[in-house]
Amino acid sequence: MPAPPVTKRIKTLSVTRPIIYGNTAKKMGDDIPPNAPKDHTHLWTIFVRDPRGEDVSYFIKKVVFKLHETYPNPVRVIEAPPFELTETGWGEFEINVKIYFADVSNEKMLNFYHHLRLHPYVNPETKEVERSNDDSEVPEDEVKAVYFDEIVFNEPTEQFFQLLMTKPGNLLPANKTPNCVFSRQLEQEEVDRIHIGMKNIDGEIKAYEEKLKEAMKSAA
Amino acid sequence: MSSSDIFDVLNIRPKSSSPDTGTHPPSSGSLAVKQNKPQVTGIQRELYSLLGDNTPSVPIKSSNKFKDSLNSSAKPSPWSFVEFEANSHVKLRHWVKGSKELVGASVEPSSFAKFNQHLSIPSFDEEEYEQFMSGNNSEWSYEEVRYLFDLCRNYDMKWFVIADRFDYNSSNRKLDDLKDMFYTVCQRYFLLRDPENPLISQLNFPKEKELERKEHLERLLSRTAAEIAEEEALIIESRKFEMAAKKTLQEREALLQLLDHPHSDKPISQFLTSQGMSQLYANLLNDKNRKRKLDSSTPENPWMKQQQQFAQQRQQIQHQQQFKQGQLMQQQQQQHQQQLIQQQKLQQQQKLQQSQENQQNKENQPKQQKSSNSQSEENSSKDQQSEDTTEIKTEGQRLNKKQKIELQNALRRKQDSEYAEQLLEKFTPEERKSLGVIAHGEKLAPGVYLRSSKISTYKPAVQNKIVATLQELGLSVRPAMPSLAVVNEHEKLLRKIATLLEIKKQVDKFAAEKQIVNQD
Repeated sequence: MPAPPVTKRIKTLSVTRPIIYGNTAKKMGDDIPPNAPKDHTHLWTIFVRDPRGEDVSYFIKKVVFKLHETYPNPVRVIEAPPFELTETGWGEFEINVKIYFADVSNEKMLNFYHHLRLHPYVNPETKEVERSNDDSEVPEDEVKAVYFDEIVFNEPTEQFFQLLMTKPGNLLPANKTPNCVFSRQLEQEEVDRIHIGMKNIDGEIKAYEEKLKEAMKSAA
Repeated sequence: MSSSDIFDVLNIRPKSSSPDTGTHPPSSGSLAVKQNKPQVTGIQRELYSLLGDNTPSVPIKSSNKFKDSLNSSAKPSPWSFVEFEANSHVKLRHWVKGSKELVGASVEPSSFAKFNQHLSIPSFDEEEYEQFMSGNNSEWSYEEVRYLFDLCRNYDMKWFVIADRFDYNSSNRKLDDLKDMFYTVCQRYFLLRDPENPLISQLNFPKEKELERKEHLERLLSRTAAEIAEEEALIIESRKFEMAAKKTLQEREALLQLLDHPHSDKPISQFLTSQGMSQLYANLLNDKNRKRKLDSSTPENPWMKQQQQFAQQRQQIQHQQQFKQGQLMQQQQQQHQQQLIQQQKLQQQQKLQQSQENQQNKENQPKQQKSSNSQSEENSSKDQQSEDTTEIKTEGQRLNKKQKIELQNALRRKQDSEYAEQLLEKFTPEERKSLGVIAHGEKLAPGVYLRSSKISTYKPAVQNKIVATLQELGLSVRPAMPSLAVVNEHEKLLRKIATLLEIKKQVDKFAAEKQIVNQD
């Protein structure tokens, strides 16, 4: 494969694209697919997509999921949207996800891990059973582990920049929906939560500063 | 007993007779080997044969250390003890090669007799003497001169012997007196006889100089060991002084060169021609070499220190001038401040130095002020000629290398960010947000990354505490939605937590110390 032509990068500029990735899983019960091994108990789907369900194929070329080595052909390459993979299994494991970008981007692939979740969580404090890692609603028999993240293209190439500017890809849904919680509403909630935390910390810092001053005074 | 016998005893078969070549007698193999070996001497044959095929651990050299014993069949030649004529009236004997019959027949003169030559010392009678010595009111009588010349003839001009033997009417004549008299008489004698002889002038004997020379020599030889040592030490000391003087001269020259150095705030018209340019280049190159030399030399010399101080002061003065180009008021204040600082610095140095240098420094201060005044006048007059361009240049020159690079980077970044801004000009802020594009204006590594992966982490110990704190606050380590706004806030929070932890640590430390103090 010939090396992509060296293109000029736009300095001090970055472009962001939100993605969500994760998996859904449910118990298969009796309706086992015909080609699945007998000891498999769960049907799961791992995916990488836009929070609003928009098309991402204009900048993502392909996604490679590397499954546990016990699977036949553990490296699964998805070259067209939707970038998702459905499999059966009986255990949880780390799935290696590699996102390859469009050739004009001249970028390396993005590499991260997702822990495949098949079983519901048990909250250690409330002892409640939770079937998703966020507060989104899930069907009765499903388990869900979905994460939000932002892909940041720092200093993209000129061509890639032009490509990215063709679509307003950074938009988030305004409000939480039962299907997808990641929205501007959640973002604001997050910021607010952090602000509350900061206030607490500020208070503590002040208290300790006072203590320190007093101690200094008494020492002097 | 040979090696093969020992091999037999030990039941070892020699290497050459392996099973398939067993038909050959073992001795023949070892013999062949022996013949190939060089003959070794200095070791007994039996002992050597014990070595067998083994090579000795210490190399044995076959060289004979001693000279060969005399092995000549020639008959010794005859030597005879014969008489010879050493002098007309002395006869001695010596060994001569040859049989007595051949050599001892006649008494021969010594072969060294030809070297028994005598100087021809002039002889004269009283009349002659009176003739050529007329007008010379010498205290010497003819008889005494005659006596001296006789001695000279007898002892063959060996002056020390002559002086030793000289005893005429128990007069007290010194060696130099005798010499003087002898040469004077000779000169006069030859002047009468052969006035054309060019060698006459060489018969001159400078008695005074000779006496002086001897006096010096005596003094040189009569020095004590301590005096010699002192002298050597003095010589070394003087060399040091010479070296120091040389160095000082060099440094002063370098300093002068520095002063001559083209100033950046002067007009550059003289360097615009190619000749001027090449001259400037040569100057700068020279200067560079000089500077390096200066740095390498050890600053033990008090002069060096002084000069370094001067250089520092010069630099500071230049800085002051820079400010002068701006506001006059500020400049005056800063100058004052800088001078104060300078004075403080100098005073600190002085404290360490001796009181002697104190005085020098007091002299420096007025000087430095004076020079700064004069230079500022110069500057202001020249500023009118060249303003903006030189200003930038001077700034660039005064910044050191690192600062320069930083400045360049900042400029480049500025350019880049300007370009980025230009690209984004057509987008409104809302559009920018929806496109997810920002011009952050910072120097970050190019490439793609996940926002959440760039959340900063701390040292393991601190990180653990931060995680615990976050859990206390009911927040997750990884924000559920790591968007730009959230991550920025999250970062702020993390920094605050780190500060809190630091303060807490300090308070705890303080409390512990207090406890210890109280216990005491």
